[in-house]
Amino acid sequence: MTERIAAIGRSAIRKDAWDKAAGKALYTADIPVDDLSLGSIVRSPYHYARIKEIDRTEALKVPGVKAILTVDDIPGAKIFGPLIEDQPSLADGIVRHLGEPVALVIAETRTAAEKARDKVKVTYQELDPVFDPVEAAASASSQLHPEGNVVSELHICEGDPEGGFQAADVILENTFHLPRISPGYMEPETSLAVWEKDGTVTVWVSSQHPFTDQAVIAAALDLPIDKVRVKSAVIGGAFGGKEDSSLAILAALGAWKVSGAFRLVNDRRESFLAHPKRHPAQIKYKLGAAQDGTITALEAEAYLDTGAYASYGPAVAMILTETLGGSYRMPNVKIDTYCVYTNSPISGAMRGFGSPQAHFAVESTLDLLAEELGMDPIEIRAKNILKPGDDIFTRVRMNNSAGALAACLEKGSQLLKEYQAVEPQEGKKAGVGLALAAQSMGLGANIPDDSSHKLEWAPDGRILIHLGSPDLGQGLAAAAEQITAEALGLPYDQIQSLPLDTLETPNGNVTCASRMTYMVGNALIDAAAKLVQSLIEQAGRLLEIPAEDLVYQEGKLIKPDGTSLPAVEFISRLAEDSIKLSAESTFSFPYPADTTPQHLPLGMPHVLFCFGAQVARVEVDPDLGTVEVTHFAAIHDVGKVINRQGVEGQIEGGVATGLGYALYENMVRKNEVWVDGFTEYLLPTAVDLPENYQTIILEVPEESGPYGAKGIGEIPLVPTAPAVANALYDAMKVRIFDLPITPEKVLGLDK
Amino acid sequence: MKEIKVKFILNGSPIEVLSSPNRTLLDVLREDLGLTGAKDACGGEGECGACTVISNGKPINSCLVFIGQVEGAQVLTIEGITPKDGYHPLQKAFVEAGAVQCGYCIPGAVLVAKALLDTNPHPGDREIKEGLSGNLCRCTGYQKMVDAVHLVIDGGLDD
Repeated sequence: MTERIAAIGRSAIRKDAWDKAAGKALYTADIPVDDLSLGSIVRSPYHYARIKEIDRTEALKVPGVKAILTVDDIPGAKIFGPLIEDQPSLADGIVRHLGEPVALVIAETRTAAEKARDKVKVTYQELDPVFDPVEAAASASSQLHPEGNVVSELHICEGDPEGGFQAADVILENTFHLPRISPGYMEPETSLAVWEKDGTVTVWVSSQHPFTDQAVIAAALDLPIDKVRVKSAVIGGAFGGKEDSSLAILAALGAWKVSGAFRLVNDRRESFLAHPKRHPAQIKYKLGAAQDGTITALEAEAYLDTGAYASYGPAVAMILTETLGGSYRMPNVKIDTYCVYTNSPISGAMRGFGSPQAHFAVESTLDLLAEELGMDPIEIRAKNILKPGDDIFTRVRMNNSAGALAACLEKGSQLLKEYQAVEPQEGKKAGVGLALAAQSMGLGANIPDDSSHKLEWAPDGRILIHLGSPDLGQGLAAAAEQITAEALGLPYDQIQSLPLDTLETPNGNVTCASRMTYMVGNALIDAAAKLVQSLIEQAGRLLEIPAEDLVYQEGKLIKPDGTSLPAVEFISRLAEDSIKLSAESTFSFPYPADTTPQHLPLGMPHVLFCFGAQVARVEVDPDLGTVEVTHFAAIHDVGKVINRQGVEGQIEGGVATGLGYALYENMVRKNEVWVDGFTEYLLPTAVDLPENYQTIILEVPEESGPYGAKGIGEIPLVPTAPAVANALYDAMKVRIFDLPITPEKVLGLDK
Repeated sequence: MKEIKVKFILNGSPIEVLSSPNRTLLDVLREDLGLTGAKDACGGEGECGACTVISNGKPINSCLVFIGQVEGAQVLTIEGITPKDGYHPLQKAFVEAGAVQCGYCIPGAVLVAKALLDTNPHPGDREIKEGLSGNLCRCTGYQKMVDAVHLVIDGGLDD
C-alpha cells in the first residue's frame, strides 16, 4: 500500500506557471498563424451622435487594405448582450459612447489597418450626452434606448421600515459616491479567428465564457452553432471584464470576410473605452438603531451608471441591493435601486459585482453609528452580526457556514488592538479601522447554474480534465487537478487539465461569481466516482470477476484474494480495444428548500456567502494629506483550502485591487474625454503595498462544498476600502463619502 | 518609409534586422522575430513594464525604444535567459513562490528582478519593491513576487 496522498490543502505548483515564467505561454496575441490579416476598429470620437455617413473611399485606397466593414455587412445578428440584447457589434446609425466601434478595417498589416482606420470619413451629428444617472433616469428628452433610460429597477420593502425608524434612537443618513473602475487585467482584449476551408470558423478567445462567444458568433455570422469552434487561449486576467463577447464577434466577422485568418487586438486605450468597468454608484444610505446599538431599520436608494449598454448591469444592481445589508441583521428594509443608461462607457461585471459599492456604504455607516452611540466599532458589529439560522432581508436563511463571520470579527478585533498599539512616526497621525464583508457565491436562485466537466483516463495513466470553464489566471486548473487527485487517490503530477475547446469540452458555464472551485470541485468528485465505476466494470469483464467484488484504491484494483493490479494496465488494454474510459458530470448550484424561500422579494437571491474581515492601520501626513497603509490584515474563511498559495494569491491580489479602489483608481472624464491609460489611471504598484501585511485563512467547512471548500475570488477586495476609510477617520476625524481617498479630500480642499 | 538596417546582439547572438525606423524594439521582437515573451499591456506608454527587456545590463521598456536605438546594444529577452533544458533560478523562484497567476506580466518582472540582482545581489525588501514598481500586476498584489526574489537571494529554491 502506498501512503495516502494528501493532494488538497498544500501549495501544489501550478503546471501552467513554467511556460508563463519562460515567456512561452501563448496568449491570443502570441499564437503564430500564417497569412494573418490584422484589424483596427474605427471608434466614435463622440459621446453621443447620429451617424450621417460613412465614407470608405479614401481608406480603401490604402495599400494592403482588404475590406472595411460596417453594420450593414454583418450577415446575421447585429446586436448582442448577455442579459439584454441592446449592444450593436458595429454602430447602427447612432453612437452612444466615446470609443464605440463604428467600422472594422481588415488589412495585410497592422500599419495598413491603422492608416486606413484614420482615413475612414464618418460624418456625425452630435447629440447632447447625459452622464449623471439620476438625471438620465428622470430625463424624458434624452432617451438613449427606446424603452427609456432606466434599464432595471428594484423595490424592496421587508418588515416595517417606517416602524423601524420610529423605534430608532439614532438615525443616520448619508450619500456615498463610488467611482468607475477598470478591471485592469494586463492582457487587453484579443481575439483570433480562422475561417476554415470547410466553411467553419475557429476562434481563439481571452474570455470568461467561450460557450457564449460561440453562440453570439454563430448568430452574427448566421451560422449553425456547430460550425463555430471556440478555443480558450492562455488568458491574461479577466476579473469580470471578459464576460462580454464584443471582440470575438468582430474577429470572426473579419475571418469570414477574408476567408482566412484574422486577429484583432485592443490597445489599452480601446480597452478602457470599450470594455466593461465596475459601476459608478450613488447610494443614499439611512440606518436607524436603538441606544444599545441594535439596528432597527435600513432605507437605501441606489443609482448605478451602466453606461451606454446594459451588459450585466441589472444583475450587478441585484447583488448591490442584496449586499446593502452587509453582514448584519436588518429587520426592516426599504431599498430602491435603479440601473440607468448614460453616455458613459459600459459598466458590467467586475470582481465583487455590486458588493464593493454596497459594502462601502454599510461599513462606513457602522462606524458612524458606533461613534454616534458612543460604542466600540467592534461591539456594534458583534451586536448585529449574522449568525447561522438568521434570515436576511431577501428571506434567505444563513446556513452553518455563517459561523465564520463571528470568527473573522474576533480575529479582526484582536489585530485591531495590536495595530492600535503601534506608535506613529514623528509628524504623522495614525488610525486603525476594520470592515466585514459577506460576498454572494453563485449566479443566484432562479438562474440556471449548471457546470459540466469531464475526466478521461489516458492510456499512459494520466487523468485528463476537460475543464468546461476557463482558468482566467487565478489557478482554477490547479485546484481542479488537486481535487481530482484527492478524489482518485492519484499523484497530482498525474492529473492534467486541458485548455477549453467547445468542440470537445462540456459546458462548464461562465467563470465568475466566486463559485468555480465549488462547482468544478463538486462535478469532478462525482465524475471521479463514475470513472472508477466504469473502470471496475470493464476490469471485472476482462478478469471475469463480478464488478462488485473489485475494490478501487489509489490507482489500483484490489481483487477478492487481496492481490492488486495497477489500474493503468486495464486502461491500456481497453485502449487497444478502442475503449476510452471517461466520465462527465454536471453540478447544479443547490438552492435547498429550507434556506431558499418560494416567495422572493428579490429575483435572484443567493444562499451561500463568503465571509471576511479586514483590518487597516494608516499613517497620515496632516500637512500633505497623504495616506499610507502601514499595516493590513486580511482574514477570510474559505471553508477548506484546496491550494494554499492559490488562496493566498487571490487574497493578496484582491487586497491590492481593494487598495486601488480606496486610494487611487477613478476613470473620470477630463476635458470631455475619459481617462484611458495607466499614466493617469493609477493601479497600485509594488511600493504601494503595506509594509506589514498578513493573510489569515479560516476553514469553517461548507457542507455542500468539495471537501468543505467555498469560494474566494471576489471577497478579498470588498472590505478593503471601508477598512481604510474607517482607519483614516480614526486618524484624522475626516469621513470619506466618495472614493478614492485623495489628499485633497483628506485636507478638506476638494469642495 | 525607407527601411533601415540595425545590427545588435540579441540573446548572445549577433543579429541584423531590416525595419521601418518608426517601429519599436517590441514590434520587431514580437512581429518579426517571433519572440512573444515580451508583452504589450499599456499601449506603448511605458507604464506597465510587460515589455521589459534587458539592454546593456539595464531593464528597459522595449515599447519606448525605436529599433534604430538598439544599434550595437546587447539585448536580452526572457527567451534568452531561459536555458534550453530548464529554467533560470528566478523563473523557478517565481513559479515556486506562487507568483505566477495569469502570467502576462511575469516575463517582464523576471527580467527586472534579474537586472536588479545582477547589480545588487542582496537587495532588501524596499529595494526589491522599488525594483518591481515599474511592473504592473493586477493578479498577485506583488507579495509573492517579492517572496520569489528573496528565495533566490536566500538560496531557498527546491532542487
